[in-house]
Amino acid sequence: PRLMQVRWSRYNPSFMEPEVNKEFYQKPLEELTEEEKENMELKAVRPIKAAPPSLSSSVFSDPMISKFTNMMMRDGNKVLARSLMTQTLEAIKRKQLEKYHKAPEDEKETIECNPYVIFHQALKNCQPIIGLSNITKGGKTYQVPIPLKDNRKRFLAMKWMITECRENKHRRTLMPEKLSQELLLAFNNEGPVIKRKQILHKMAEANRAYAHFRWW
Amino acid sequence: LRLICTTTAMQRKNIGASGPEKYTEAFIKKQIEEFNLGKRHLANMMGEDPETFTQEDIDRAIAYLFPSGLFDKRARPIMKHPTEIFPEQRKIQWGEDGRPFHFLFYTGKQSYYSLMHETYEKLLNVEKYQEELIAQDLPLEKEKRNLAGSRWLTKIELEEMLLEKLSDDDYSRFIQLLQKLMALPGSDIEQKYIQKFSREVPVQMQKVVIEPLQYDERGVAFSTGEGKRKTARATAVVYDNGTGKMTVNGRDILHYFPVLQDREQLLFPFQFLDRIGKHDTVCTVSGGGRSAQAGAIRLASARALRSFVTEKEVEFMRQAGLLTVDPRVKERKKPGQEGARRKFTWKKR
Repeated sequence: PRLMQVRWSRYNPSFMEPEVNKEFYQKPLEELTEEEKENMELKAVRPIKAAPPSLSSSVFSDPMISKFTNMMMRDGNKVLARSLMTQTLEAIKRKQLEKYHKAPEDEKETIECNPYVIFHQALKNCQPIIGLSNITKGGKTYQVPIPLKDNRKRFLAMKWMITECRENKHRRTLMPEKLSQELLLAFNNEGPVIKRKQILHKMAEANRAYAHFRWW
Repeated sequence: LRLICTTTAMQRKNIGASGPEKYTEAFIKKQIEEFNLGKRHLANMMGEDPETFTQEDIDRAIAYLFPSGLFDKRARPIMKHPTEIFPEQRKIQWGEDGRPFHFLFYTGKQSYYSLMHETYEKLLNVEKYQEELIAQDLPLEKEKRNLAGSRWLTKIELEEMLLEKLSDDDYSRFIQLLQKLMALPGSDIEQKYIQKFSREVPVQMQKVVIEPLQYDERGVAFSTGEGKRKTARATAVVYDNGTGKMTVNGRDILHYFPVLQDREQLLFPFQFLDRIGKHDTVCTVSGGGRSAQAGAIRLASARALRSFVTEKEVEFMRQAGLLTVDPRVKERKKPGQEGARRKFTWKKR
């Protein structure tokens, strides 16, 4: 990264990120790994940034859910985005419970009712493994398959989910309903988002010949 | 526009831009002698002993003899040692025959490249030492160096040391090389060299005084705290032996903060310390918006809770980011742009 960063922050670069998880502080000293011990020593001396308002130590706050809510937010309307998110999770729970009560005894254990688990698994199923990038060589631009970082994979999965739900739906369906539908389909590895991921994988496989253009 | 009144100097066309004035050594020596003489005269004038006249005394004397109402401190009369006033400059780098002294002169950044060469030499030395240790089957010891207490030289400090301009890229490369050198296990032999490029960071940690608990008429312990966030200012009074009720500006929190996120923030410090149903809180808040007020109350109640809790837990709260004031404020709008970052619509013609 450049030294003169264009995006700056109000904090001094020596400030470190806060650790909100309560259990982390209740662990006894022996369980920590080498890195964590060094980290602890550094934290004891360096100043620490303030925890942002979307982060809290309660059991209900989940970093993935907050990230998804922020991506769904429009014009800074966090209240609306958060209510849509809670309605989506409720809708998922309702649908799963309906299925649970209708199912015969032996299948009842396989049905997953926890909306958080469904959300995480669905997003995990949507994450692509390789991506394509445009590399210009000799005047022509080629689509070269490249490995993606974890952050990028999560971002792409969430972005595809949200664009899918905003565009390909009937005018009258509300966002929570459509989102819950898509998440349940993704959980079972079906649905348009999974299809999009598979198309991307096929394109990458087709352009396999250009993989040596990557120099990093 | 054509200039009508010109001077002879402006009419000469072939003057190139000369750099900063070059001072000769003789000139600087003369300045130092004059400074010392002047110091003795000044001490005489002020009626003090010329031998023990320090820089602070000089500053005070000058401020007394030449009072100036100018706002900028740098525009007022100064009398300092010439090495502080005249910036250090490089002497001429080539001899009488025009041949440069240093072998890297024609690279343009001779001191930077020579420094890189030296550091790389040290790196190779360390690697050779490591190989020797391995050959003799001795264990490679790695002492834990205290990362927290030291920092590398900043770019400006390095420029001052080398007396030449550096680019950001050059600086980052040099720092990477130093880090690589320090990371190797056998780098103890080159410790002196590395220490030339590191500075001590004074471990600040101003010991914040935790106020003792106060007791009100009923005998209940309480403590106050103040907090702020953006433009909101809040004060919180946390009482002991409570039921977990919270009142803000005379109203209940359910009333005042209809949004779940704000209430989560209010309860964050209590939930972190597992003291949800044990304290009663009465807060007052003004200014800011709904999220800013919630953040201000969170800081205020975290500060108030410090008096109820052990030092270790205070340290945990600090590491969770509950006790730091959030410095983020609204960025100002700049002229020539529509907002703080947004530019005006670009029109081709």
